[in-house]
Amino acid sequence: MAKITYVEHSGAAKTVDVPDGWSLMQAAVANGISGIVGECGGSMACATCHCYVEESRLGDLPPAEAGELEMLDMAAAEVRPTSRLACQIHASPKIDGLVIHMPETQG
Amino acid sequence: MHFDPYSPAVDADPFPYYKRLRDEAPCFWSEEAQMWILSRYADIVGAGQDWRTYSSASGNMMTELPNRAGATLGTTDPPRHDRLRALVQSAFLKRNLEGLADPIRAIARAAAEELRGEAVFDFKDFSAKFTVRVLMAALGLPSGDEAIVDEDTVREKAVLMVQSDPRTRAKGPEHLAAFEWMRDYAAQVIAMRRAAPRNDLISNFAAAEIDGDKLDDREVLLTTTTLIMAGVESLGGFMMMFGYNLATFPEARAAVVANPDLIADAMEESLRFNTSAQRFKRKLMRDVTLHGETMREGDFVCLAYGSGNRDERQYPDPDRYDIGRKPRGHLGFGGGVHACLGTSVARLATRIAFEEFHKVAPNYSRVADQLAWMPSSTFRSPLVLELAVH
Repeated sequence: MAKITYVEHSGAAKTVDVPDGWSLMQAAVANGISGIVGECGGSMACATCHCYVEESRLGDLPPAEAGELEMLDMAAAEVRPTSRLACQIHASPKIDGLVIHMPETQG
Repeated sequence: MHFDPYSPAVDADPFPYYKRLRDEAPCFWSEEAQMWILSRYADIVGAGQDWRTYSSASGNMMTELPNRAGATLGTTDPPRHDRLRALVQSAFLKRNLEGLADPIRAIARAAAEELRGEAVFDFKDFSAKFTVRVLMAALGLPSGDEAIVDEDTVREKAVLMVQSDPRTRAKGPEHLAAFEWMRDYAAQVIAMRRAAPRNDLISNFAAAEIDGDKLDDREVLLTTTTLIMAGVESLGGFMMMFGYNLATFPEARAAVVANPDLIADAMEESLRFNTSAQRFKRKLMRDVTLHGETMREGDFVCLAYGSGNRDERQYPDPDRYDIGRKPRGHLGFGGGVHACLGTSVARLATRIAFEEFHKVAPNYSRVADQLAWMPSSTFRSPLVLELAVH
């Protein structure tokens, strides 16, 4: 279990208990977080679960693989060094307390 | 308690069985299926994400086809799966599908026009024709002057190969023969595209390499076979279920006919309410204890997507078809690394199909109360959907 805080572009924040192994995209759509769309369902075929991870916690995540980076190029909002796809981040005790910010748009 | 995914009663209406499973036995050993059944939304999502524990490499269809597991996208685990997917994915990305919208609309219009003036028809005549032609365009299967088989036959075989026999709880000879037919058809297409490559999915796939390794012939053959099967059966089944919902709930139909922009929401709710992909399976790579039951390494586990989609713990008032619901995170396309590759093309094609269909037949209802349902442990859709036009 990891407590994850999702911060919408508007600034509204919601903290969700995410079971171990769940992706942060799946937990977002199951909990009504509107800033994450997850159109493809997690097969990494869209970039509508784009999020920004707090810089100080980036090291707690496995780095993005080539496929994720390619897909991020399709993201509708600005891609930053802290950009990730929420479908590729899986909950574990290591990321407990993580805060992710939603972009202005998912396209 | 029993749960028999081969029973005709489950084909016709699995939902009362699912509800009992969710409430009384959310981790249930089915003697008939010889596997565990997970029926709650959260458990299915969790298992779908955890491919290390819930492996697809021993097959993903409830009743698997011979010698298919391990050679297709749905029946491999990462990292092999991810590399295979990378080869076919570009064809299915939303941005690469834009060019298909006009051809898809032309196909939909032609298929719908054939129904004009009919008082009663089988919706399958529309959905099957549309689906096969769209798939031929999307995958680059030979059509028109180049066609090597009849369109109707492709559809019939795709629908037959996903079925199973309710008595023997296995594939029957006719199902295996359909699979063999499809495999031979795929082999002919691959040979044509290798001899004279074009810029289409199958040409590119047949020549593709993974990290310098060429795909082996079995992977090319069975992945192509599966893409044709999954495309034809799943898109066709999805359209039949959507047509069934709109014919059953007149207010929903009237709303989307009056405002076609609502088709997208009505379609998502249809994928939740009664998805055609009801159940897929996984194999456990370690012991797992869930809801007091211990499932053993090597056991098969059914992820009952159709049940998770009706789980009241996730979707309030789940047995209501509510096109205003916007059911986020539904399992109509599965989930996790094996989430359906064709979501974009399925959404695009189905939306256009119904826009055009409604121009010809805006008011319709079901003729029969009781329908004949496909005998399948994995998929659910009516074999025939007779509609009366008003």
